[in-house]
Amino acid sequence: MLFSAASRVLIQGITDPLGKVYAPLMQQYGTQIVAGVASGQGDTNFHGIPVFDLVEQAIATVGQVDTTVICGHPYMVLDAALEAIAAGIRHLVLLTDGVPPLDMVRLLRKAEATETLVVGPNSPGIIVPGEILLGTHPPDFYAPGPVGLISRSGTLTYEVALQLTQAGFGQSIAVGIGGDRIVGSSFQQWLQILEEDEATQVIVLVGEIGGDSEENAARYIAEAIDKPVVAYIAGRTAPLEPVMGHAGAIIAALVADLSTEIGTFESKLAAFKAAQVPVADRPSQIPDLVKKALQKVS
Amino acid sequence: MDLLEYQAKNLFQQMGIPVLPSQQISQPKDLKGLKIPYPIVLKSQVYTGGRSKAGGIRFVENTIDAVAAAQAIFHLPIMGQYPEVLLAEARYQPERELYLAVVLDRSSRRPLLLGSQEGGVEVESVVGQMQQVIVDQEFSPFYARRLVLKMGLRGELIQTVSSVVEKMYRLFLEKDLDLVEINPLAVSARGEVMALDGKIIANNDALARHPDLTALCSQQPLSNRTRITGALPAGMNLVELDGSIGILCNGGALTMATLDLVYKAGGKPANYLNVGGEFSHHLPPNTLPERVRQGLEVLGRDRGTKVVLLNIVCGGVGCDDVTEAIAAHWRRRSVGHRPVLMVRLAGSRFDAAHEILRGLEIGVVHDLDEAIAQAVSLSKSKVA
Repeated sequence: MLFSAASRVLIQGITDPLGKVYAPLMQQYGTQIVAGVASGQGDTNFHGIPVFDLVEQAIATVGQVDTTVICGHPYMVLDAALEAIAAGIRHLVLLTDGVPPLDMVRLLRKAEATETLVVGPNSPGIIVPGEILLGTHPPDFYAPGPVGLISRSGTLTYEVALQLTQAGFGQSIAVGIGGDRIVGSSFQQWLQILEEDEATQVIVLVGEIGGDSEENAARYIAEAIDKPVVAYIAGRTAPLEPVMGHAGAIIAALVADLSTEIGTFESKLAAFKAAQVPVADRPSQIPDLVKKALQKVS
Repeated sequence: MDLLEYQAKNLFQQMGIPVLPSQQISQPKDLKGLKIPYPIVLKSQVYTGGRSKAGGIRFVENTIDAVAAAQAIFHLPIMGQYPEVLLAEARYQPERELYLAVVLDRSSRRPLLLGSQEGGVEVESVVGQMQQVIVDQEFSPFYARRLVLKMGLRGELIQTVSSVVEKMYRLFLEKDLDLVEINPLAVSARGEVMALDGKIIANNDALARHPDLTALCSQQPLSNRTRITGALPAGMNLVELDGSIGILCNGGALTMATLDLVYKAGGKPANYLNVGGEFSHHLPPNTLPERVRQGLEVLGRDRGTKVVLLNIVCGGVGCDDVTEAIAAHWRRRSVGHRPVLMVRLAGSRFDAAHEILRGLEIGVVHDLDEAIAQAVSLSKSKVA
């Protein structure tokens, strides 16, 4: 697995509001946080974690860093991410919401060119139960086990993890890829990682209406994934947002998937059905479907 | 945020995209000081489409006709909106009309250039013929030329039209836009181009770093105006329906999942409110209790609500922290109408939370399905 108790972790924006709340929680879970970065606060420390002004200073002092968790102001996220990539860090977890999408476009061009994995933004990050917490997942909801959980949401991911854990199904990893229109890693990337991960026996994909991530994931599952996948889609009954604007603006929105007109519940459900992926009709049904999938495997 | 046509055209002009001479009209008598020669066209400045069909665009030959037409347009609602401003513009005789747009594409996670030779109002019928170019690396004008050639343009028009696309892209990037559209881009018999109508959608997350766009935004009528509240607290999202169960959750997908479950159990939601998730720099998780309290206040104003179902999944704070906020709200609202509360909490220190709410005789459970069943049953009982 890419992330383990041995991973050395940096927190950028450690004294920003999100960093203040989550850095201590990650540390309590046992995540090896080797340094924090907060511009103007170098040479201080936060909960015993040394704080630096620059990523390169942190690395020069504490040594190599495997993963950085970025939780600064949304307009500083691009810069923080580019700084981390320039310093040689290749795993980035972006928690903050409200990052301008064109900042993400710039970041992703750079990330692709440097083969950097970007998770998020607007994301709960990653938890490998019993090993490492890189984000906001409440640890009590999780337990080690065979389920790889991937999702676009925050609190709904926790909910599904809780239902799984209570039913006796622990998780090999849980990843929130982020709720924004433009996010780094996709469902397909994580499906492939989990397909190759020995600890994962079954994959749970938690989707929601809007966008085409679930449809793309369903196609990818049919083509490339042998492990069983169980899905859930939130928003069956949520009314679609009305599309404003000219005839043409509607066209552009349709082509580029700006609106929620594409990505209805029905379209996602049909895509999973075509890929023979069972879809739970409520979160509490997910453990039952996981149980069935595990029985088939063994 | 949507911009009005005249606001979009101001930005086009700053960027060097050709637009017609025009003037803003705030009241019919402004037409007496008109600096553009007749004949002109008067256009209603509203955020919706379909202006032409609705009668919001009129051609006039002189001041008398113009004043009468302006009066009519000011009193003409288009999809419920009355214009505060009209745009008076010179008339133009295009030989052909193109469609051009720059938009952010979610799947490729890149800007997308769109173009068609079939511009104008009927563009919806030719969506299949829309040409697309993904700007996968840093923009350079060849992307614009690639689009224009795909559209089937030849000769001198290639340079003229691709130069417009290039400027649209620069605007898109500079102002953090979700969409820039010109429809139609008129082409005259002499091969000159003119943006006859335009549409810009600014990205809400990036607005705060564009003071010029923020200023336009403050002129905009409140789109968040609702039946039960004037303006919502920051970071919240409310949708109003007509049932009897209010739904309050933290996080978008959790809210939708809860709504689905209420419907599935035969309940009728009155509304659903997302008080915000876990990843806001401005409203970090330790503000969740206060957001829940404000949310309860908002939902408490809806007289049609019999039950408010709270489904709060606590990450950064404990259940008891949220409960304190619920209790504070409950104690204050002891007189008059108050919907019954059904509270579902998941997270640490549930037992402490349970203790607090039991003392106030508020139903609280840990299991989501049970909370839904109880809320639906309460909404159907006569005593509630």
